[in-house]
Amino acid sequence: MGRVAGYYFNIMKIKYKSELIKSMKYLGNKKDTIFIGQSIKFTGNAIYNTLTEVPNKKKIEVPVFEDTQMGMSLGLALNGFVPITCYPRFDFLIVAFNQLVNHLDKIKFMSENQFNPKVIIRTSIGSKHPLNGGVQHTQDYTEVFEKVLTEVKVVNIKEPKDIFYNFKKAYHDKSKCSYLFIEDGDFYNSK
Amino acid sequence: MNKQKLINFELDIKKVYESGKIKAPIHLSGNNEDQLIKIFKKINNKNDWVLSTWRNHYHALLKGIPADWLKKQIIKGRSMGIINKKYKFYSSAIVGGIIPIALGLAKSIKLKKEKSKVWVFIGDMTFETGIFHECYKYSKNHNLPIKFVVEDNGLSTNTPTKETWIKKSKIPRGVYYYKYKRKYPHHGTGGWVLF
Repeated sequence: MGRVAGYYFNIMKIKYKSELIKSMKYLGNKKDTIFIGQSIKFTGNAIYNTLTEVPNKKKIEVPVFEDTQMGMSLGLALNGFVPITCYPRFDFLIVAFNQLVNHLDKIKFMSENQFNPKVIIRTSIGSKHPLNGGVQHTQDYTEVFEKVLTEVKVVNIKEPKDIFYNFKKAYHDKSKCSYLFIEDGDFYNSK
Repeated sequence: MNKQKLINFELDIKKVYESGKIKAPIHLSGNNEDQLIKIFKKINNKNDWVLSTWRNHYHALLKGIPADWLKKQIIKGRSMGIINKKYKFYSSAIVGGIIPIALGLAKSIKLKKEKSKVWVFIGDMTFETGIFHECYKYSKNHNLPIKFVVEDNGLSTNTPTKETWIKKSKIPRGVYYYKYKRKYPHHGTGGWVLF
Protein backbone atom coordinates (compact mmCIF):
# COMPACT_ATOMS: atom_id res chain seq x y z
CA MET A 1 0.00 0.00 0.00
CA GLY A 2 1.13 3.59 -0.65
CA ARG A 3 -0.14 6.96 0.61
CA VAL A 4 -0.77 10.13 -1.38
CA ALA A 5 -2.42 13.22 0.08
CA GLY A 6 -3.89 11.25 2.95
CA TYR A 7 -5.40 8.53 0.75
CA TYR A 8 -4.21 4.97 0.70
CA PHE A 9 -4.13 3.31 -2.70
CA ASN A 10 -3.17 -0.07 -4.01
CA ILE A 11 0.11 0.15 -5.86
CA MET A 12 0.08 -3.61 -6.56
CA LYS A 13 -1.56 -3.60 -9.99
CA ILE A 14 -3.21 -6.89 -10.76
CA LYS A 15 -1.19 -8.68 -13.41
CA TYR A 16 -2.27 -11.34 -15.85
CA LYS A 17 0.63 -13.68 -15.13
CA SER A 18 0.57 -13.25 -11.35
CA GLU A 19 -3.15 -14.01 -11.32
CA LEU A 20 -2.46 -17.20 -13.28
CA ILE A 21 0.24 -18.16 -10.78
CA LYS A 22 -2.17 -17.48 -7.91
CA SER A 23 -4.88 -19.58 -9.60
CA MET A 24 -2.54 -22.50 -10.22
CA LYS A 25 -1.29 -22.35 -6.63
CA TYR A 26 -4.91 -22.48 -5.48
CA LEU A 27 -5.67 -25.48 -7.68
CA GLY A 28 -2.38 -27.12 -6.75
CA ASN A 29 -3.38 -27.06 -3.09
CA LYS A 30 -6.46 -29.17 -3.77
CA LYS A 31 -6.11 -32.84 -2.91
CA ASP A 32 -7.73 -34.18 -6.07
CA THR A 33 -5.99 -32.06 -8.70
CA ILE A 34 -3.16 -33.23 -10.94
CA PHE A 35 -1.33 -31.22 -13.60
CA ILE A 36 -0.46 -32.84 -16.92
CA GLY A 37 1.33 -31.60 -20.01
CA GLN A 38 4.63 -31.07 -21.71
CA SER A 39 7.02 -28.47 -20.25
CA ILE A 40 5.19 -28.25 -16.95
CA LYS A 41 8.13 -29.55 -14.89
CA PHE A 42 10.76 -28.16 -17.22
CA THR A 43 11.15 -24.74 -18.81
CA GLY A 44 10.13 -24.25 -22.41
CA ASN A 45 6.92 -22.28 -22.58
CA ALA A 46 4.95 -19.52 -20.92
CA ILE A 47 2.58 -21.86 -19.10
CA TYR A 48 5.55 -23.36 -17.24
CA ASN A 49 6.16 -19.94 -15.67
CA THR A 50 2.65 -19.96 -14.21
CA LEU A 51 3.18 -23.32 -12.47
CA THR A 52 6.10 -22.32 -10.29
CA GLU A 53 4.00 -22.56 -7.11
CA VAL A 54 2.72 -26.04 -7.92
CA PRO A 55 4.82 -28.84 -6.38
CA ASN A 56 6.46 -31.23 -8.85
CA LYS A 57 4.76 -34.21 -7.22
CA LYS A 58 1.46 -32.83 -8.57
CA LYS A 59 2.79 -32.71 -12.14
CA ILE A 60 2.86 -35.39 -14.83
CA GLU A 61 5.34 -34.41 -17.52
CA VAL A 62 4.27 -36.22 -20.69
CA PRO A 63 5.83 -36.76 -24.11
CA VAL A 64 4.55 -34.89 -27.14
CA PHE A 65 1.33 -36.80 -27.71
CA GLU A 66 -1.42 -34.21 -27.50
CA ASP A 67 -4.40 -36.44 -28.31
CA THR A 68 -3.20 -39.13 -25.90
CA GLN A 69 -2.68 -36.44 -23.26
CA MET A 70 -6.33 -35.37 -23.59
CA GLY A 71 -7.52 -38.99 -23.39
CA MET A 72 -5.28 -39.59 -20.37
CA SER A 73 -6.76 -36.52 -18.72
CA LEU A 74 -10.23 -37.95 -19.21
CA GLY A 75 -9.11 -41.33 -17.84
CA LEU A 76 -7.61 -39.66 -14.76
CA ALA A 77 -10.88 -37.77 -14.27
CA LEU A 78 -12.97 -40.96 -14.55
CA ASN A 79 -11.17 -42.25 -11.47
CA GLY A 80 -11.66 -39.12 -9.37
CA PHE A 81 -8.86 -36.72 -10.28
CA VAL A 82 -9.40 -33.17 -11.51
CA PRO A 83 -6.67 -32.86 -14.15
CA ILE A 84 -5.41 -29.47 -15.24
CA THR A 85 -4.21 -30.38 -18.70
CA CYS A 86 -1.89 -27.85 -20.31
CA TYR A 87 -1.42 -27.08 -24.01
CA PRO A 88 1.11 -24.28 -24.43
CA ARG A 89 -0.36 -23.05 -27.72
CA PHE A 90 -3.84 -23.16 -29.22
CA ASP A 91 -2.27 -24.55 -32.39
CA PHE A 92 -1.17 -27.64 -30.43
CA LEU A 93 -4.59 -28.19 -28.88
CA ILE A 94 -5.90 -28.79 -32.41
CA VAL A 95 -3.97 -32.09 -32.32
CA ALA A 96 -6.08 -33.14 -29.32
CA PHE A 97 -9.37 -32.22 -30.98
CA ASN A 98 -10.40 -35.88 -31.38
CA GLN A 99 -10.31 -36.78 -27.70
CA LEU A 100 -11.73 -33.40 -26.71
CA VAL A 101 -14.70 -33.48 -29.05
CA ASN A 102 -15.44 -37.18 -29.47
CA HIS A 103 -14.90 -38.23 -25.86
CA LEU A 104 -14.67 -35.52 -23.21
CA ASP A 105 -17.41 -33.41 -24.74
CA LYS A 106 -19.70 -36.41 -25.35
CA ILE A 107 -19.25 -38.48 -22.22
CA LYS A 108 -22.12 -36.99 -20.21
CA PHE A 109 -24.54 -37.70 -23.03
CA MET A 110 -23.11 -41.10 -23.86
CA SER A 111 -23.13 -42.27 -20.26
CA GLU A 112 -26.51 -40.68 -19.50
CA ASN A 113 -24.80 -38.63 -16.77
CA GLN A 114 -23.31 -41.65 -15.03
CA PHE A 115 -19.91 -40.08 -15.60
CA ASN A 116 -19.39 -36.35 -15.03
CA PRO A 117 -15.64 -36.01 -15.22
CA LYS A 118 -14.12 -32.59 -14.66
CA VAL A 119 -11.09 -31.70 -16.75
CA ILE A 120 -9.67 -28.17 -16.75
CA ILE A 121 -7.91 -27.49 -20.03
CA ARG A 122 -5.46 -24.62 -20.35
CA THR A 123 -4.24 -23.27 -23.64
CA SER A 124 -2.80 -20.01 -24.84
CA ILE A 125 -2.93 -17.96 -28.02
CA GLY A 126 0.72 -17.65 -28.99
CA SER A 127 2.25 -14.24 -28.49
CA LYS A 128 3.17 -12.01 -31.42
CA HIS A 129 5.34 -9.56 -29.51
CA PRO A 130 8.24 -9.08 -29.39
CA LEU A 131 8.62 -12.21 -31.53
CA ASN A 132 5.88 -13.36 -33.88
CA GLY A 133 5.64 -17.15 -33.85
CA GLY A 134 3.99 -17.26 -37.27
CA VAL A 135 0.79 -18.85 -38.53
CA GLN A 136 1.33 -22.24 -36.88
CA HIS A 137 2.05 -20.80 -33.43
CA THR A 138 -0.28 -17.82 -32.92
CA GLN A 139 -3.79 -18.76 -33.98
CA ASP A 140 -6.93 -18.02 -32.02
CA TYR A 141 -9.56 -20.71 -32.64
CA THR A 142 -11.93 -19.59 -29.88
CA GLU A 143 -14.97 -19.23 -32.12
CA VAL A 144 -14.44 -22.66 -33.67
CA PHE A 145 -14.23 -24.36 -30.28
CA GLU A 146 -17.26 -22.46 -28.98
CA LYS A 147 -19.25 -23.73 -31.96
CA VAL A 148 -18.12 -27.35 -31.68
CA LEU A 149 -18.13 -27.95 -27.93
CA THR A 150 -21.52 -28.57 -26.39
CA GLU A 151 -20.67 -29.65 -22.83
CA VAL A 152 -17.18 -28.29 -22.23
CA LYS A 153 -17.40 -24.63 -21.23
CA VAL A 154 -15.14 -22.23 -23.07
CA VAL A 155 -13.67 -19.29 -21.15
CA ASN A 156 -11.55 -16.71 -22.95
CA ILE A 157 -9.66 -14.84 -20.27
CA LYS A 158 -8.77 -11.33 -21.32
CA GLU A 159 -8.58 -9.42 -18.05
CA PRO A 160 -6.43 -10.19 -14.99
CA LYS A 161 -9.38 -9.59 -12.66
CA ASP A 162 -11.31 -12.48 -14.25
CA ILE A 163 -8.61 -15.10 -13.93
CA PHE A 164 -8.70 -16.31 -10.33
CA TYR A 165 -12.48 -16.01 -10.12
CA ASN A 166 -12.98 -18.20 -13.18
CA PHE A 167 -10.48 -20.92 -12.28
CA LYS A 168 -11.93 -21.12 -8.77
CA LYS A 169 -15.42 -21.26 -10.22
CA ALA A 170 -14.41 -24.02 -12.64
CA TYR A 171 -13.01 -26.18 -9.85
CA HIS A 172 -16.06 -25.75 -7.62
CA ASP A 173 -18.71 -25.85 -10.37
CA LYS A 174 -21.39 -28.20 -9.06
CA SER A 175 -22.61 -28.99 -12.56
CA LYS A 176 -19.31 -30.87 -12.85
CA CYS A 177 -18.55 -29.46 -16.27
CA SER A 178 -15.17 -29.49 -17.91
CA TYR A 179 -13.66 -26.16 -18.87
CA LEU A 180 -11.43 -24.89 -21.64
CA PHE A 181 -9.49 -21.80 -20.61
CA ILE A 182 -8.02 -19.75 -23.44
CA GLU A 183 -5.27 -17.43 -22.33
CA ASP A 184 -3.35 -14.90 -24.41
CA GLY A 185 0.41 -15.07 -24.52
CA ASP A 186 0.72 -11.38 -25.28
CA PHE A 187 -1.05 -10.52 -22.02
CA TYR A 188 1.40 -12.42 -19.80
CA ASN A 189 3.72 -9.42 -19.72
CA SER A 190 1.52 -6.59 -20.94
CA LYS A 191 -1.47 -6.66 -18.58
CA MET B 1 -22.38 -66.00 -18.36
CA ASN B 2 -21.65 -69.17 -20.34
CA LYS B 3 -21.08 -69.67 -24.06
CA GLN B 4 -24.68 -70.55 -24.91
CA LYS B 5 -26.06 -67.57 -23.01
CA LEU B 6 -23.75 -65.26 -24.95
CA ILE B 7 -24.83 -66.75 -28.27
CA ASN B 8 -28.50 -66.59 -27.29
CA PHE B 9 -28.20 -62.93 -26.27
CA GLU B 10 -26.98 -61.94 -29.72
CA LEU B 11 -29.63 -64.11 -31.39
CA ASP B 12 -32.25 -62.27 -29.35
CA ILE B 13 -30.81 -58.87 -30.35
CA LYS B 14 -30.72 -60.02 -33.98
CA LYS B 15 -34.42 -60.82 -33.77
CA VAL B 16 -35.29 -57.46 -32.19
CA TYR B 17 -33.16 -55.62 -34.76
CA GLU B 18 -34.83 -57.42 -37.66
CA SER B 19 -38.21 -56.40 -36.30
CA GLY B 20 -37.16 -52.76 -36.86
CA LYS B 21 -37.21 -51.80 -33.20
CA ILE B 22 -33.55 -50.74 -32.98
CA LYS B 23 -33.03 -47.60 -35.01
CA ALA B 24 -29.26 -47.49 -34.76
CA PRO B 25 -26.36 -49.67 -35.91
CA ILE B 26 -25.59 -52.85 -33.99
CA HIS B 27 -22.34 -54.81 -34.13
CA LEU B 28 -23.01 -58.36 -33.05
CA SER B 29 -20.37 -60.63 -31.56
CA GLY B 30 -19.89 -64.28 -32.40
CA ASN B 31 -17.38 -67.12 -32.84
CA ASN B 32 -15.13 -65.76 -30.08
CA GLU B 33 -17.01 -66.97 -27.01
CA ASP B 34 -14.37 -69.50 -25.87
CA GLN B 35 -11.49 -67.04 -26.15
CA LEU B 36 -13.33 -64.31 -24.26
CA ILE B 37 -14.57 -66.59 -21.49
CA LYS B 38 -10.95 -67.66 -20.93
CA ILE B 39 -9.67 -64.06 -20.86
CA PHE B 40 -12.41 -62.86 -18.53
CA LYS B 41 -11.38 -65.49 -15.98
CA LYS B 42 -8.31 -63.30 -15.44
CA ILE B 43 -10.38 -60.14 -14.98
CA ASN B 44 -11.51 -59.05 -11.54
CA ASN B 45 -15.05 -58.01 -12.36
CA LYS B 46 -15.49 -56.02 -9.16
CA ASN B 47 -12.36 -53.88 -9.32
CA ASP B 48 -10.97 -53.94 -12.84
CA TRP B 49 -12.01 -51.58 -15.63
CA VAL B 50 -12.91 -52.88 -19.08
CA LEU B 51 -12.76 -50.62 -22.12
CA SER B 52 -14.25 -51.85 -25.33
CA THR B 53 -15.27 -50.93 -28.85
CA TRP B 54 -18.47 -50.64 -30.86
CA ARG B 55 -18.59 -54.48 -30.79
CA ASN B 56 -18.99 -54.71 -27.05
CA HIS B 57 -22.00 -56.90 -26.14
CA TYR B 58 -19.95 -59.96 -25.12
CA HIS B 59 -17.46 -57.84 -23.15
CA ALA B 60 -20.30 -56.13 -21.29
CA LEU B 61 -22.05 -59.39 -20.44
CA LEU B 62 -18.83 -61.06 -19.29
CA LYS B 63 -18.04 -58.01 -17.13
CA GLY B 64 -21.24 -58.83 -15.28
CA ILE B 65 -23.55 -56.17 -16.68
CA PRO B 66 -27.13 -57.52 -16.46
CA ALA B 67 -28.44 -58.74 -19.82
CA ASP B 68 -31.77 -56.95 -19.44
CA TRP B 69 -30.08 -53.58 -18.80
CA LEU B 70 -27.81 -54.12 -21.78
CA LYS B 71 -30.71 -55.08 -24.02
CA LYS B 72 -32.59 -51.90 -23.05
CA GLN B 73 -29.55 -49.79 -23.92
CA ILE B 74 -29.24 -51.51 -27.30
CA ILE B 75 -32.92 -50.92 -28.05
CA LYS B 76 -32.39 -47.24 -27.15
CA GLY B 77 -29.80 -47.11 -29.93
CA ARG B 78 -26.75 -47.09 -27.67
CA SER B 79 -25.15 -50.36 -28.79
CA MET B 80 -22.00 -48.69 -30.12
CA GLY B 81 -21.22 -46.89 -26.87
CA ILE B 82 -22.27 -49.00 -23.91
CA ILE B 83 -21.12 -47.31 -20.70
CA ASN B 84 -21.81 -48.46 -17.15
CA LYS B 85 -20.12 -46.73 -14.24
CA LYS B 86 -21.13 -49.27 -11.61
CA TYR B 87 -19.51 -52.06 -13.59
CA LYS B 88 -16.49 -49.93 -14.59
CA PHE B 89 -17.24 -50.42 -18.26
CA TYR B 90 -16.63 -47.89 -21.03
CA SER B 91 -16.88 -48.31 -24.77
CA SER B 92 -16.57 -46.02 -27.75
CA ALA B 93 -17.28 -46.00 -31.48
CA ILE B 94 -14.13 -44.05 -32.33
CA VAL B 95 -11.26 -46.25 -33.54
CA GLY B 96 -8.47 -46.18 -30.96
CA GLY B 97 -10.34 -43.69 -28.81
CA ILE B 98 -10.44 -45.84 -25.70
CA ILE B 99 -6.69 -46.44 -25.55
CA PRO B 100 -5.53 -43.04 -24.20
CA ILE B 101 -8.48 -43.03 -21.78
CA ALA B 102 -7.42 -46.46 -20.53
CA LEU B 103 -3.89 -45.14 -20.13
CA GLY B 104 -5.17 -42.30 -17.94
CA LEU B 105 -7.21 -44.72 -15.86
CA ALA B 106 -4.16 -46.93 -15.39
CA LYS B 107 -2.09 -43.91 -14.38
CA SER B 108 -4.75 -42.91 -11.84
CA ILE B 109 -4.77 -46.42 -10.39
CA LYS B 110 -1.01 -46.31 -9.94
CA LEU B 111 -1.09 -42.82 -8.39
CA LYS B 112 -3.78 -43.90 -5.94
CA LYS B 113 -1.99 -47.17 -5.23
CA GLU B 114 -5.15 -49.15 -6.02
CA LYS B 115 -5.03 -52.85 -6.79
CA SER B 116 -7.16 -52.88 -9.92
CA LYS B 117 -6.20 -53.16 -13.59
CA VAL B 118 -7.48 -51.77 -16.88
CA TRP B 119 -8.33 -54.15 -19.72
CA VAL B 120 -8.54 -52.72 -23.23
CA PHE B 121 -10.11 -54.67 -26.09
CA ILE B 122 -9.17 -53.55 -29.60
CA GLY B 123 -9.42 -54.92 -33.12
CA ASP B 124 -6.55 -55.80 -35.44
CA MET B 125 -6.74 -52.54 -37.43
CA THR B 126 -6.64 -50.48 -34.22
CA PHE B 127 -3.68 -52.55 -33.12
CA GLU B 128 -1.77 -51.24 -36.16
CA THR B 129 -2.43 -47.57 -35.40
CA GLY B 130 0.12 -45.15 -34.00
CA ILE B 131 -2.12 -44.42 -31.03
CA PHE B 132 -1.86 -48.04 -29.87
CA HIS B 133 1.90 -48.12 -30.22
CA GLU B 134 2.56 -44.86 -28.36
CA CYS B 135 0.19 -45.84 -25.55
CA TYR B 136 1.60 -49.36 -25.31
CA LYS B 137 5.14 -47.95 -25.12
CA TYR B 138 4.13 -45.43 -22.44
CA SER B 139 2.31 -48.05 -20.37
CA LYS B 140 5.24 -50.49 -20.48
CA ASN B 141 7.89 -47.87 -19.71
CA HIS B 142 5.84 -46.50 -16.80
CA ASN B 143 4.84 -49.96 -15.60
CA LEU B 144 1.13 -49.15 -15.60
CA PRO B 145 -1.55 -51.69 -14.62
CA ILE B 146 -3.05 -52.13 -18.09
CA LYS B 147 -3.65 -55.18 -20.29
CA PHE B 148 -4.31 -55.02 -24.02
CA VAL B 149 -6.35 -57.66 -25.83
CA VAL B 150 -6.21 -57.77 -29.64
CA GLU B 151 -9.22 -59.42 -31.26
CA ASP B 152 -8.12 -60.22 -34.78
CA ASN B 153 -10.89 -60.94 -37.27
CA GLY B 154 -8.73 -59.63 -40.11
CA LEU B 155 -11.18 -56.92 -41.07
CA SER B 156 -11.82 -53.27 -40.42
CA THR B 157 -15.43 -52.70 -41.44
CA ASN B 158 -14.95 -54.86 -44.56
CA THR B 159 -11.42 -53.80 -45.46
CA PRO B 160 -8.84 -56.55 -44.92
CA THR B 161 -6.21 -55.18 -42.53
CA LYS B 162 -3.44 -57.01 -44.38
CA GLU B 163 -4.48 -55.45 -47.71
CA THR B 164 -3.80 -51.98 -46.30
CA TRP B 165 -0.68 -52.64 -44.23
CA ILE B 166 0.75 -55.47 -46.40
CA LYS B 167 1.89 -57.29 -43.28
CA LYS B 168 0.84 -57.30 -39.68
CA SER B 169 2.97 -56.05 -36.82
CA LYS B 170 4.50 -58.43 -34.32
CA ILE B 171 2.52 -58.84 -31.13
CA PRO B 172 4.45 -57.08 -28.36
CA ARG B 173 5.25 -58.65 -25.02
CA GLY B 174 2.35 -58.94 -22.61
CA VAL B 175 -0.40 -58.33 -25.17
CA TYR B 176 -3.19 -60.91 -25.32
CA TYR B 177 -4.02 -61.82 -28.89
CA TYR B 178 -6.48 -64.15 -30.55
CA LYS B 179 -7.83 -64.74 -34.05
CA TYR B 180 -11.41 -65.51 -34.97
CA LYS B 181 -13.73 -65.45 -37.96
CA ARG B 182 -16.54 -62.90 -37.78
CA LYS B 183 -19.94 -64.57 -37.47
CA TYR B 184 -22.08 -61.54 -38.30
CA PRO B 185 -21.50 -58.67 -40.76
CA HIS B 186 -19.66 -55.56 -39.59
CA HIS B 187 -23.01 -54.11 -38.56
CA GLY B 188 -26.56 -55.31 -38.78
CA THR B 189 -27.50 -58.93 -39.29
CA GLY B 190 -26.99 -59.40 -43.02
CA GLY B 191 -30.63 -59.09 -44.05
CA TRP B 192 -32.91 -56.27 -45.12
CA VAL B 193 -34.81 -54.62 -42.30
CA LEU B 194 -37.92 -52.54 -42.87
CA PHE B 195 -37.74 -49.57 -40.48
